[in-house]
Amino acid sequence: MYPVQLANRYLTSRIIPLIAVAAVALCVALVVIVVSVMSGFLDMLRASGRTLMGDVVISYPIRGIPWYEQLIDTIEKLPEAQAATPLIDTYGLVRMPYPDGSEKEVVTANVWGIEPQSFNRVTDFSKALYWKPPASPEAAASMSPDDLRLKLSDKILNDGLNLVKSDTGEPGLVLGMHVSIANERMRNGSYRPRYPQWFMPKQSVTLTLVPISAKGTIAEPRERVFPVVNEFKSGVYQIDKNRVMISLDEAQKLLRMDAGTLYDMQAPPNADGSLPVLGTSPAKVSKILVRAKPGVTPDQLQTAVFAAYEKFAYDVAADPSKVIKAPRVDSMNILTWEQHLRDLIAPVEKEREMMRILFSIVYLVCAGLVLSIFWAIVQEKTRDVGILRSVGASRFGILWIFLQYGLVIGAIGGLCGVGLGWLVIHNINFIHETIGQDAPAWSYIASFIIAAISFAMSVRGMTTGVVLSTLLWSVLGFTLALVGVGLMLHRGTLIWDPSVYYFATIPDQVDWFTAIITWCGAVIFSVLGASIPAAKAADIHPVRALRYE
Amino acid sequence: MSKFLLEAKELRKTYHLGRVKVPVLRGASFTLEQGEWVAILGSSGSGKSTLLHLLGLLDECDVDSGGVWFDGKPVADLKFSARNAYRNQSVGFVFQFYHLLPELSVLENALLPNMVNAGMNWFSKRAQAQQHATELLDAFGLSHRLTHRPAELSGGERQRVAIARALANQPRVLLADEPTGNLDTKTGGEILDLIAAKHRKGLSIAMVTHDPAVAARADRVVKLVDGCVAQ
Ligand SMILES: Nc1ncnc2c1ncn2[C@@H]1O[C@H](COP(=O)(O)OP(=O)(O)O)[C@@H](O)[C@H]1O
Ligand SMILES: [Mg+2]
Repeated sequence: MYPVQLANRYLTSRIIPLIAVAAVALCVALVVIVVSVMSGFLDMLRASGRTLMGDVVISYPIRGIPWYEQLIDTIEKLPEAQAATPLIDTYGLVRMPYPDGSEKEVVTANVWGIEPQSFNRVTDFSKALYWKPPASPEAAASMSPDDLRLKLSDKILNDGLNLVKSDTGEPGLVLGMHVSIANERMRNGSYRPRYPQWFMPKQSVTLTLVPISAKGTIAEPRERVFPVVNEFKSGVYQIDKNRVMISLDEAQKLLRMDAGTLYDMQAPPNADGSLPVLGTSPAKVSKILVRAKPGVTPDQLQTAVFAAYEKFAYDVAADPSKVIKAPRVDSMNILTWEQHLRDLIAPVEKEREMMRILFSIVYLVCAGLVLSIFWAIVQEKTRDVGILRSVGASRFGILWIFLQYGLVIGAIGGLCGVGLGWLVIHNINFIHETIGQDAPAWSYIASFIIAAISFAMSVRGMTTGVVLSTLLWSVLGFTLALVGVGLMLHRGTLIWDPSVYYFATIPDQVDWFTAIITWCGAVIFSVLGASIPAAKAADIHPVRALRYE
Repeated sequence: MSKFLLEAKELRKTYHLGRVKVPVLRGASFTLEQGEWVAILGSSGSGKSTLLHLLGLLDECDVDSGGVWFDGKPVADLKFSARNAYRNQSVGFVFQFYHLLPELSVLENALLPNMVNAGMNWFSKRAQAQQHATELLDAFGLSHRLTHRPAELSGGERQRVAIARALANQPRVLLADEPTGNLDTKTGGEILDLIAAKHRKGLSIAMVTHDPAVAARADRVVKLVDGCVAQ
């Protein structure tokens, strides 16, 4: 029983265990925060890749995939595939409605021609559309009262989903949230137009696309005015800054990828001078996005789609009514979204490797810190160990005392650390936003006042001759004065720059797996740190331990 | 069966400080009969503490030769747990510098050997042990100090607690290493009075001192000179 009672005494009769708990807590919190943010970031990238692209992408960029409707039918019959959608992925110029005057701003954009209904099935397009009424009363309640979306009706959402301006029946265009400069991001993550008249879904833009012939030459550019019907926010900054969407038909027309009659150039002309007709030239798309059924991995789907494409190419080849044949399967790019977004993901993977190494270092440093804290505390108890041994305590009894000591501090400190980490991560965007602003005047005035009081207290300590209070109060005073100056000079800096980190918000979910592992690590290193020097002290002869200075 | 309660035969011990050998005991023999109070007198550094530590099994370093017998049995044969039990119950050790646990109260320090002895049965043995310790501390004039920490006591008071601790399991031998060495003459005298009172009740005592006046309180005085005991 005495090990329990002594451990209890050592834990409760001094301030050092509290300091050890705080140190363990800080180490654990550090690891939990860093790992959670980093792995949250990777998860976000993973999730967004899927919602943006589906799971597997078939692409044949310049000349396009012919007979794609038939291919989509074949794919959608696959047991692995949930849905598939055709897509044109190209580049173009967007002439903005601003500034006032005749010289309007022109931006380059990644233009996606989509078939809205099937696109929505593959990628959750409706969730990405930003201008829509709140989905539920709860969602409405969480918005700020002046949020523009509270005044919107379902019409704007449907216009966006159909890519049509329902008032006039004109084909519409959806902008990425950051393509125009019109939207201002609010502190709570919502958007509003910088000026009321800049509400983009009331504006029109002019889109210019450059068709490229099968030979790779550039044909006459075509342009068209589109009313903006909505805007979308994928959460990936690079995409929200660059991408606009129009309907597939419009994109095909502008790029001359729509269906047409195919004439025989080699044969002699008909009697009326026209060329003999060979058949139809089918409409084409540059990509097909496929979404996997739940539980099917992108890799499994990729294999299935590969086979489906082979069957499709064979069917087309065997069909005499189809003059234009499908490209062979080995000239197609059939990639999972991860392979397709290699350029985006590769640097992140590298970063993750870097982070792994850094984490290991952070982890080791924290482990070493915890270890040495306990080492110092227990080493100091060597004389106590000698006393206990001289009254007959066994070596294991002594080990058991300090094992419990480390166990309790490690467990409690670890718990506090996980709690602290959770608190920080949960509010990380708020903290980040706060750092992003200039410090409010009251904060530095308050710290100057408290600093002044601390200095007064330290002067009092000096006059009464108390060294510790003089020291502590002056340290506090200097620190607060420095903090005050720092706050006064602080100009808002956003550490998490969305243009660098792809996402507009910092991941705010605790990685519980890491948290549990880290907690276990804290307990293990605390116990080790406490029991190794205790075992060492227990192993030497009692007199030697007693002589320990 | 030996007639001695505690006996050291021809103890030789050398400390090795790097290459330098410091011979401390060179064949020291010592005997203590049941109920006897023997003082070991010697100048500082003569090896008195070394001898007493070997008697109390506090220094398990192998001696070069010789050995210690307790109640006729060689202690060198004792296993680990038996050695702990020997330190816990057979002998009680009093140090010059008290060596109390700073985090424990006076009463808890005095109960420490009982707690160690009781192991998992502490709760059932507690009341009895506590009563014994309280009586002892009472007799030592510490009844008003039971909940105090050692740091709040004077040197004399601390040494009384240390003696109470040494006697907690009613050992047959008290080994005292300059118990008054750190105290003024008057306080030291009071401590010796306490020890003398226990001796009168039958406690065997081996006491180390460099002070002939202190040694004079014992039944018998032996001198430690040049690592050997001179009768
Ligand atoms: N652990 C040790 N290592 C080396 N030398 C020691 C050690 N302990 C004691 N000595 C030496 O042994 C000699 C006797 O010490 P000690 O028994 O403490 O003497 P006393 O108690 O008679 O003053 C001293 O010279 C001391 O320096
Ligand atoms: Mg000594």
